[in-house]
Order: sequence, then structure tokens, then C-alpha cells
Amino acid sequence: MKKIKYLIFILFITIPTKSFSLIEVDITRGNLNPLPIAVSPLSYNQESRSALEKELKIEDLGSEISKVIENNLKKSGLFNPLNNDAFLQKPDIAHLKPRFEDWALIKAQALLTGKVDLQDEKLRVEFRLWDVLAGKEMLALAFTTVPKNWRRVGHIITDKVYERLTGEKGYFDTRIIYVAEEGPKTKRIKKLAIMDQDGFNTKYLTLGKELVLTPRFSPTNQIVTYLSYFRNLPRVYILDIETGIQEVVGDFPGMTFAPRFSPDGKKIIMSFAKDGNSDIYTMDLENRIVERITNHPSIDTSPSYSPDGKYITFNSDRSGYQQIYVMRSDGSKTKRISFGNGLYGTPVWSPRGDLIAFTRLHRGKFYIGVMRTDGKGERLLTENYYQEAPSWSPNGRVLIFYRETKSGDQGEGFSAKLWSIDLTGYNERLVETETDASDPSWSSLLSN
Amino acid sequence: MHRSLVISFGFHIVIVILTVLSLPFIAKKPIDLPPLISIELIQITDKTNIPFAPKAKKIIEKIKKEKDTLVSEQAPPKKVKKENPKAVPSPDQKMKKIDEAKSEAIPLPEKKAKKVKMTEEKKQNPTKEDTKVKQVSEFEKEEIIDPNKIAALIDKSKKEIAETTKTTNRVTQSQDKNMNISGLTLSEEDALKAQIFGCWSIPLGLPYNENLLVKIKLKLQPDGSVIKTEILDHARMNKPGQGFYKVLAESALRAIQLCQPLRVPTTGYERWKDLQLNFDAREMLEG
Amino acid sequence: MILSKFYRNTFLVLLLSLVLSACATQKAVKIDSKIQGDVYTGTDSVKYLADGVKDRVFFATNESVLTTASRDTLRKQAAWLRKNSDITVVLEGHCDERGTREYNLALGERRANAAKDYLMTYGIASDRISVISYGKERPVDSGSSPLAWSKNRRSVTVKAN
Repeated sequence: MKKIKYLIFILFITIPTKSFSLIEVDITRGNLNPLPIAVSPLSYNQESRSALEKELKIEDLGSEISKVIENNLKKSGLFNPLNNDAFLQKPDIAHLKPRFEDWALIKAQALLTGKVDLQDEKLRVEFRLWDVLAGKEMLALAFTTVPKNWRRVGHIITDKVYERLTGEKGYFDTRIIYVAEEGPKTKRIKKLAIMDQDGFNTKYLTLGKELVLTPRFSPTNQIVTYLSYFRNLPRVYILDIETGIQEVVGDFPGMTFAPRFSPDGKKIIMSFAKDGNSDIYTMDLENRIVERITNHPSIDTSPSYSPDGKYITFNSDRSGYQQIYVMRSDGSKTKRISFGNGLYGTPVWSPRGDLIAFTRLHRGKFYIGVMRTDGKGERLLTENYYQEAPSWSPNGRVLIFYRETKSGDQGEGFSAKLWSIDLTGYNERLVETETDASDPSWSSLLSN
Repeated sequence: MHRSLVISFGFHIVIVILTVLSLPFIAKKPIDLPPLISIELIQITDKTNIPFAPKAKKIIEKIKKEKDTLVSEQAPPKKVKKENPKAVPSPDQKMKKIDEAKSEAIPLPEKKAKKVKMTEEKKQNPTKEDTKVKQVSEFEKEEIIDPNKIAALIDKSKKEIAETTKTTNRVTQSQDKNMNISGLTLSEEDALKAQIFGCWSIPLGLPYNENLLVKIKLKLQPDGSVIKTEILDHARMNKPGQGFYKVLAESALRAIQLCQPLRVPTTGYERWKDLQLNFDAREMLEG
Repeated sequence: MILSKFYRNTFLVLLLSLVLSACATQKAVKIDSKIQGDVYTGTDSVKYLADGVKDRVFFATNESVLTTASRDTLRKQAAWLRKNSDITVVLEGHCDERGTREYNLALGERRANAAKDYLMTYGIASDRISVISYGKERPVDSGSSPLAWSKNRRSVTVKAN
């Protein structure tokens, strides 16, 4: 009997209990549609409202901030901010307890709500990001700043939302420095200009009396470097944005140009031209020591450091035509990395360290492209009659560059504008500027 | 006269040889053509029509007639390619399977060993193979319920009777039911896939050179609504440097939520009530 | 008989080939009288430092090599400078717009230096000549044709005092 019981027991535990093997279905496709997100205007109470109105001369600050956010999200190409008119819940209630069904009704998959207060002369902002479909909160943050920084509030919130929903750092709390242009092509007037990345708060740093070209931000964002023809002597200068003080870099007996900062902000790297030969030099801003990096009878210019400061990519015609090279930051181990047909120029190392963006000229057409740092995997992103000089957003995802167009063969209707494009080749769009613009350069995140 | 003729002939030969040697097709290596893979286009219907089904029926009937109980070594079954529906499992294979089932009647230690082999088989071989294995487990299932079988445990002499009864039961069931035991049919799978393709908004910001695979297990209601979701490899969600995995997983969960109720088959709830969806964003982002 | 036939045939062949080659040469002459070997040879934007002394020389795309015509112009400039020994000059190097901005700054400098070196071989002291590059910033012709571009690829000698 015991034996039978034992047998039956074994039988039961060894039978396959009506288990079907788990069906697996592979989902390898989806859509690349921008994520529908509802950005609710930030709510605020009555006392704050009147105080803010008085101080900032803005009627509905909560709404203005959410507009900044919506605009940023839309321009990134990854999000689709839904129309405010369809919102069913009021901002203050939505921020406390959103009724997810209401938001799901208008097809929102994410919801952003927030609150803004004036406390002791300071602006206090609180926001929440909700997953509408899962019905839960994804992110909740608060911070304080001075009231006149209200636009930056919008940018900082966008960065946090972007990071939470895409996994990548944002690039919205940044500025762009560029050359503002006016006048006929034969006698262009050029000024240094800075603006927020969304085109607002434009400020001019020079008056336009002398030619200025190719500006760059320092990693600390307080100093910029550029080429100026002050007193008809083309030299590299640095300028402090806060104080406006300009200073020539070094004491070179010839033209210096194409300046950039090293990743730690301590050095300027640039080209120095003498007797028909241009080589790359660095100067330490503190101790003023000058170091020669390349020594070759060819033209070496447009240097760009890797984010870790160990390598430099640059443009040289030592092979006969403009090509892209990579060398160690002490100038050793130079290696050519561009091999396609045509000319290559303006190499810029991505802040992510994985790619180098460049301009290529082939058969009369200009291309903006990227390649891996060993030269492989070259991808051309956009083609145009004339465009050049890409610059990376701080998250290494978006490139800003400039384009010149003419409406006629004789040069009439000449204009230059800034454009941006996503690394995937999508979302090519015009970057609005007050005047014509060229030579753009992106700052790093301001809120670091 | 002869001399000049010979010389002329000689030179002609030299020229011919030179031409031949310098012709491209002599010097070149033969082109490496990839071997031809024969593909049969399957018609998609409601029920998966697998050609070998009729043959299986024949084989089962054949086994029924067989009297001897082979206590064969449990050799692992041959792997049948998923793509080739014409793959007819060899009669030996089929026999082995049936044998295994029969041998269940034999005392315990072997049974355990067989159990292990069964599960192994299931893991190794996708759907088609599963089908065959499933058949066997059906056998086993039948066994337990079959009172004759249990009696047979006690009295080995009754074993054969039990088996015959069992196999008889087996064969009388409809062919289709046997084949559809596991997996979704091709059209069911396509319908579900198409539905989810439409709901899944792939976050464009994902790094396209990383592993972008998220596996999610679902428990479903008969109407296709989701009772529960479980992200396999949940630990990866919080790993440093893998922040994008969380974003990817969340997008997959949103897709599932958005697509409720899922487009599930109208019958056979038991087989698909637990479903696993493998979201892989690689193809979309790399292309 | 056979010989005359031979002569006639040869004559016909020669005549035919002459006719054909003549056509060819005629065509070549028509194309672009102002550009030769990608270098501007016209006088459109050219100014004069003195009688018969042109103020500028032109270059081919991406090149800083002096053509025979350029050297001729520079010799005349050198002669004029020797005669007027208190004059100092600035050589301005320029490029066309079909290139990247920074490289063009370097190329303009190279062109101006090519001209300076040549002047120095004709005895002009280096402290009388300074060099500046404007890259593609100051074109004389804002058009978008090979002709316009060729006019912009230049080194201009400008009186400094």
C-alpha cells in the first residue's frame, strides 16, 4: 500500500501539469511618432499672481512657462504637445490629483503639471510628470530661482522631462553664440551675438566695426573666444560675457584663427599662420605658456578636442586636399580618418566622445555628416548648395550649422541662416535669429 | 616551304595560348554562390495547415498496431527546422516519442529521467517540435486520468491494455486539435503583432548600438485585457548606464496599455492566457 | 593608274583630317576667354597701382601657385616698388566662397605669401610688405558662377601709406 501511495505521489509530481510552453511573440516594429504629451499651464495662487505681474509685466506666468516647455518639446521632434483647449482638468487640480481618464481621452500618454509661487522675492517652482496610461507619477521636482529667470525655469523643466522620457540628458537650458550678419555680401557687417537656444534673449557682444568670426563658448560658459580683425590685425581674442572685457590671446607675430577651448577650459587651441604655413598651437590662459602642436608645411586648422582631452581632431591638406585627421593632444600619432571623395573640413568631436561631425564638399555640393572617431561609419545627414560648420548640442544628439542661400545668380537675395538637425537625420529645422546668422556654437548646459 | 609552315603554325599556337591565358574567365576563381534555400510559401489561414499532419496520423495508427514495448534509450529527438514545413519527422523519431510515452508505464526512476528529457526538448525546439512533444505529454496526461493505467502500475500485465486504450483515444481525436496545441497560428500572431506595432511609440532617443530588447510577460483575460504585466530582467531597470532600458521598458508597457484589449484568438484561452512579448527596438533604430 | 589612285586617296584622307581638326580648334577658342586653367585672366575687377601695373594676381581653385601672367604682374609691381622706395604695401589674400571658412583664411594667407615671396626675390625688403588674409569674407563678385569665383581667388597689393 505504501508503495502504491509513493508511486501515485511521484506520478503526480512528475506529470506535466497541463503547462503549455509560454508563447513568445516578437515585437520588432513600432512607430516613430512623437510622444503625445499634455503640458498643463503651471498653476499659481492669487497673491503670487499680482506680485509677479507687477514685477515681470507678465499676465499669466504659469501659462508662459508652459509655452516655453511646449515649444522646446515640439522642436525636439520627439514629442507632440497637445492643444491646451482640449484640457479638461484645471491646472491646480491636475497638479494634485490628475484624473487620468480625462487625459487619456485626449490621447495624452504623459502629463506635465506644476505650480509656481513667489516666496521672499524668489520664484519657487514645483512640477510633476505623470504616466497617463499606467496612472502613476513618474517624476516630481522643485527648485527656486530669481523671477527674471522664468524662461530658464521652462528650459530646466524641459531638460528633466526629456531625460525622464528618453533616457538622454536634455539640451534646452543652453545658449548659442553666433555671428549676426547684415549688409551686401561684398561688405558684410558682422557682430557677435548670444541667444537662448530657443531664440529669445538675443544680446550683441560687439558693435560690428570690425570683422568677427568663428566664436566658441568656454565649458564654463562665462568666457567666449573668437577671431577679430580689430585694427586690421586678425587675432584670437577672449571676451568675458559678464564684464564685456576683451583680451587678445597671446602675442603672435602673425594671424591666429580658428580658436576653441580645451574641455577643462584652461587652454585655447588655435591655428597660427606664418609665411604661408598654418600650424596648430595651444596657449594656457593662466600661465600664458604657448605650445606648438603640429609642425608641417601644410595647412593645419579647425582643431577640436575629444571630451576627455586626450585627442585632437583637425583639418589638414597635407595629403594634397583638405582631409580630417586625429592626433594625440601632444601632437603625436597623427592619423588620417577621412577617405571619401571630395574635401572634408570643420571636424568637431561629439560631447559623447563617439562621433566626429564634419562638412564635406563633393561635386559642388556641401554635406553635413558624422563619422566614428576611427573614420568608419560615415553618414551624411543633409545636403545643400552651401552649408558648413556643425556644432554639437551638449547631449551629443543635435547639430546646429549654417546655410547660405542666394535667390539669383548675381548674388542677389543673399542670406545666411542657422539650421539644426537630429543625429538620425530627422527633424531638420530653421533656428530663428533676429538677423542673418552664421558660425553657430552651442554652449554646455547652464544649470550644471 | 615546310619550314615556314611549321614556324607559322608554331607562332599561331603561341598567340592562341597567350590569348587564352590572359582571358579573364580562366584566371578568375569560381563565383561563390550562396547555397539555395528552398522556401515554401505557406497560405495563411485560420488554422495552421501543416502538411505533415496526415503523416503523423498514419504513424500513430502504425504504433497502435505495434505490440512490443521498446524500452529504448532515451535518445534526444532530432531537431526539426522551424522554417521547413515539409519536414517530416522520421518514423523512428515518432516511434521513439511514442515509446517514451509507453515506457512511462515502466517503474519510476526512468520516468523521472524522461520527464527531464521532455522539458529539455521543449526548450530546444520551437513550435513544430513542441507540437510533437506536446502530443506525448497529452499521452502522459491521458495516462494519469486513465484508471487502467493506474491499475497497470500495480499489475504490469494490464499495461498493454491500458496503452492500447490510450492510443485508441489518441487517434480518434481530430487532427487539427493535435496540431494547434501550442503557439499561435501564423495569422493570429500576425494580427497581434500588427496591433502592437501600431501602439508602440519607440522613444527616438535610445542609443542605437546597445541591446534594446525588453521581454514582458502578460497574464490575460479571455477578452484580451491585461491582468498583470511583468518585466523580465527587472534588475536592469536600475542599473547605472542602462537608463535607456527603463525608458524602453516604459514605452513597451505604454504600448500594451494603449492596445488593450489585445487582439487575442477567439478560442484556446488556455494556451495564450500567459503571453510573452519581446520588444526589440534595434531594427527600427538601426535602419 | 594604281599610283594615281593611291595619291588621290592620300590626298582625300589628308584633306578630311585637316577639316576635322580645324573644326575642333575653332570650338576650343570660343568657350571662356576670361578663364584659363581655372585662373581668371580678365581685367574686370583689376585696379592699377601705376600705369600698366596691375594691383592683383589670380589663382586656381585650392591653389596658391603663381601663373606666368601673375609673375609678370608681380615683376612690374616690384619695379614700381623699387622706384618708389618709401611705399609700403599690404598683400591681401582672398578665396572664393566654395570652401569652409577657416581653411579659406589659411589659404588666403598662403596666396598672399606666395606673392610676397616673389616680390622679395626681386629685391623688395620684407619689412615693406605685410600680409593679411580675408579668407572668403570680402569677395569682389557675389555671384555664383565659376567666373565670379575666379575673380575672388586673388592676392591684392594695397598701398599702406
